[in-house]
Amino acid sequence: MNVLSVNRALTLLLLLALVAAPLFLGWMEVDFWLAVMTEILIWGLFASSANLLFGQVGLLSFGQALYFGFGMYGVAIGIDRFGLGLWPAMGLGVAASLGMAAVAGLVAVRLTWHYFAIITVVFSLIFYFLALRLKPITGGDDGLSFSAPPILDWGSLRLTLSDDATQYWFVLLIVVLAFALQARLRASALGRAFAAVREGERKASLLGIDVLRVRWIAFVIAGGLAGLAGALFALFGRYASATHMYYTVSGEAVVWTVLGGAGTLLGPAIGAALLILVREELSTVWEHYPLAVGALTIAVVVFAPRGIAGGWNLMLARVLGR
Amino acid sequence: MNVLELEGVSRQFGGLRAVDGVTLSIGTGITALIGPNGAGKTTLFNLMSGLLPVSSGRIRFRGQDITGLPAHRRAKLGMARTLQIKQVFAGLTVLENTWIAARQRHRPLDPFRRASDDRATRAAAEAALETMGLEAMAGRQAGSLAYGDIALLEIAMALATQPALLLLDEPVCGMSPSETERTVARIRAVSATTDVVIVEHDMDVVFGLADRVVVLAEGRVLADGPPAVIAREPAVREAYLGEDEEAA
Repeated sequence: MNVLSVNRALTLLLLLALVAAPLFLGWMEVDFWLAVMTEILIWGLFASSANLLFGQVGLLSFGQALYFGFGMYGVAIGIDRFGLGLWPAMGLGVAASLGMAAVAGLVAVRLTWHYFAIITVVFSLIFYFLALRLKPITGGDDGLSFSAPPILDWGSLRLTLSDDATQYWFVLLIVVLAFALQARLRASALGRAFAAVREGERKASLLGIDVLRVRWIAFVIAGGLAGLAGALFALFGRYASATHMYYTVSGEAVVWTVLGGAGTLLGPAIGAALLILVREELSTVWEHYPLAVGALTIAVVVFAPRGIAGGWNLMLARVLGR
Repeated sequence: MNVLELEGVSRQFGGLRAVDGVTLSIGTGITALIGPNGAGKTTLFNLMSGLLPVSSGRIRFRGQDITGLPAHRRAKLGMARTLQIKQVFAGLTVLENTWIAARQRHRPLDPFRRASDDRATRAAAEAALETMGLEAMAGRQAGSLAYGDIALLEIAMALATQPALLLLDEPVCGMSPSETERTVARIRAVSATTDVVIVEHDMDVVFGLADRVVVLAEGRVLADGPPAVIAREPAVREAYLGEDEEAA
């Protein structure tokens, strides 16, 4: 037995638990948790976008909310203005975020570390203020509301987001597919090129790796993942607004990633789940709950610098005696 | 045809001409580049491998003008280089290090196929490890290796790209005498199939290994010839070997 097989088994168990969750929560008569879990799935996917850049390629982005926002507005505008169905609207949202990332990436990937972080913030601030100003397109401060088209409408078979369990399973399906895609990416030659660029860009280029191109590809994929999360979030809230493009939203993705374990596949989602649960539980009884979040994050960074998932892997390796 | 040709290559840093009009043809076998500290050896290596752009002059590699090409394009054309401060992908396994190097010749950015299914690249990566005698360490994390083994791994990575020209920047620096001996033997074996340029301070290594010695001083070529001739050259003894005499 090794770390990988234990983690695989646990991931499978987690997947089964997630699939069965609506039934269990219904039986326990605590249905409101289903909405929280749906939100956790979406934010977990969003965090994985920051993790792809930071954990895999070594680029710390504080601007992923920009692509999240493009995904949101793509869906909202597609449905509200163009009368698109659910899937084409999602396609529009993801395409918009991919396109934006492709353009912003051309500039951003030439920079590293704090310069890279700053340029990503600058891009997202520009579009945040633009979104506030361009009221006819984005709804400005009010945002855009819409009613969600059905997921599936085949005669007698009609699935809609208005059923909480259906909505949850729909989000779960998309998020699981997005994580499966990332797992495959990690195992591919491109995934290894990501790792090479992270571990030493000069060495990578001396071996024939086009570092800027590899970074750009990662930047675009990460933008697409953030856009997909934004598209799901818009459908979940039937709403798009500029507030979710603000850089503090990007910062949350970074905190979730670092807390959960940068570079691991599921760490960012674990971090997102933990901090959203803390928020849900604590915010009702203590308005200064972010203090607890900050303390928790600092504790993890100090005592488990590889995050929860990284710490878990170390512990598991020790217990299994390698 | 000479594998690498430099024609009036210069590099200026502000007012300092670190490399000053170097014209040099690198042919077959092992060429050693020696000279006192600050002579411009590493800068010249950076110009050859494309880590630095030239200020003036032209560079041709296997007949092709590569003066304006970045490092990764030169690597793809068959030029490999190790660094003076040894650098490997510390967080990855030893085999993954040479795997990445070997993969760069065939669809290096394929996002779909599993890397573990690519048997040809794995075989090439393992062969490179064997050449440097590292096969027993394939599964270890590269960052956990001893310094000498990291230096050997760096050479193995360079070899895994199947280069036509191998630039080695102080390959035995920091190695124990027995490691040095092992490494010298391996470099000699590699030079049977690959042209090698080596920057080295250890004169026993240089004169034991090189077919030709080029002496740099203040960014210029001071002398160029077979090791036996260079060792007797008065200007070389004064500029470089003389340091040792004073010390002794």
